[in-house]
Amino acid sequence: MADGALPHPELVAAIPRLRRYARALTGEATRADDLVQDTLARAWEKRRLWQAGSDLRAWLFTVMHNVFVNQRAVARRDARNVSLDDDGVGEVWQIAVRPGQQARVEFAETVEQMGRLPAEQREVLLLAAVEEMKYEEIAAVLDIPVGTVMSRLSRAREKLRRAAEGGVPALRAVK
Amino acid sequence: MNAPDELDLMAYADGQLPPDRVAAVEAALARDADAAARVAAIREQNRRLREGLDSWLAEPSPERLLAAAAPPQTSRPAPWWRPALALAATLVLGLAVGWFGRDALLDRQGTPTTFARQAAFAHALYTADPRRPVEVWANEEKGLVTWLTRRMGVQAHAPDLNSVGFALVGGRLLSGHEKPTALLMYENADKQRLTLQWRKMAPGADETAFRYAIEDGVSIFYWIDHDCAYALSGNLDRAQLLAVARVVYGQLAAADAAPPRK
Repeated sequence: MADGALPHPELVAAIPRLRRYARALTGEATRADDLVQDTLARAWEKRRLWQAGSDLRAWLFTVMHNVFVNQRAVARRDARNVSLDDDGVGEVWQIAVRPGQQARVEFAETVEQMGRLPAEQREVLLLAAVEEMKYEEIAAVLDIPVGTVMSRLSRAREKLRRAAEGGVPALRAVK
Repeated sequence: MNAPDELDLMAYADGQLPPDRVAAVEAALARDADAAARVAAIREQNRRLREGLDSWLAEPSPERLLAAAAPPQTSRPAPWWRPALALAATLVLGLAVGWFGRDALLDRQGTPTTFARQAAFAHALYTADPRRPVEVWANEEKGLVTWLTRRMGVQAHAPDLNSVGFALVGGRLLSGHEKPTALLMYENADKQRLTLQWRKMAPGADETAFRYAIEDGVSIFYWIDHDCAYALSGNLDRAQLLAVARVVYGQLAAADAAPPRK
């Protein structure tokens, strides 16, 4: 039995994905890392709730979502002047998206446009497009029905598409 | 069958369409260029988001998150691997750990027992890293050795472990302790990984024979030779790891004995 136990390798492996999601959610690097740290602490607390053999990553995202929702509720209670958008959350992105060496400027624009989506739509879009989770997994993480996942996802993508086109609605061909 | 609607197209684009619907949707896409364009647009949007966020995924994890990935400590001294740890605290920790009892009394920062545990931590950390286990890959082995030599101030060698089934993955340099540590990573056909780490010691450090330790399932053979501490870590059993350690030691000794190349 050793003192100073080592980090759990699977949790370490999950950190980059958790950070990516947290940063896209909160829009700010330090808050994102705070969220990940709180998530890992809660995961250790609640580790008996995780069923061995089930997807650890999906479970960690579920924990993160719950921590995020609780913190947001507390922040809203405490805030005096909150500017509300669609879903009642006034989060302003502070992250400048710098494209990597290979990424083109367009990618940075897409990411910034995603940052302007309401948090609810951003969540489903991130989990589907970036984390590539199944709809059922997303439903479990966010604790919503699969139908809601799909309709929010569709709205998020439509909004993003319109933003990319500069606000011109797409012409839908009727066949 | 109903004609595919917007949500069907989206599910198809995401690879989430139930198998019994796929044929109908694919037939519709073959007929309807706009619908096909719609699917392509969703996939392109996904790709842009992933590539746009790729740099975030590639960042090294900050230390406080690595700490949070370890089981929470309850009323114990601060974890031994925190770089900010003072010398006194290291001694206290050394004394508190029964396994290293006798060695702990001789424990100084940078001496074998602390180094072995740091090596075990680094081993667990980097062998589990899916994106960037090493900084420089094996295809640049010469450059890697040159880089490590320059930064460590001692001639680096990358032992050839093919005879025991391990191929070089690459290497990196660890800082965060008072002296830098070099790390080389090897992998065998079963995807098991070893790390060889070394750090310069204060001059006059006693040479030691191989010592063996286990930290959280990581086996370590460590030794001091020519003012340098070495640690070979892996999840192999003791006999297997010893066999590799002997090969490593033999090659390092032979390299030291050979005339220096210029």
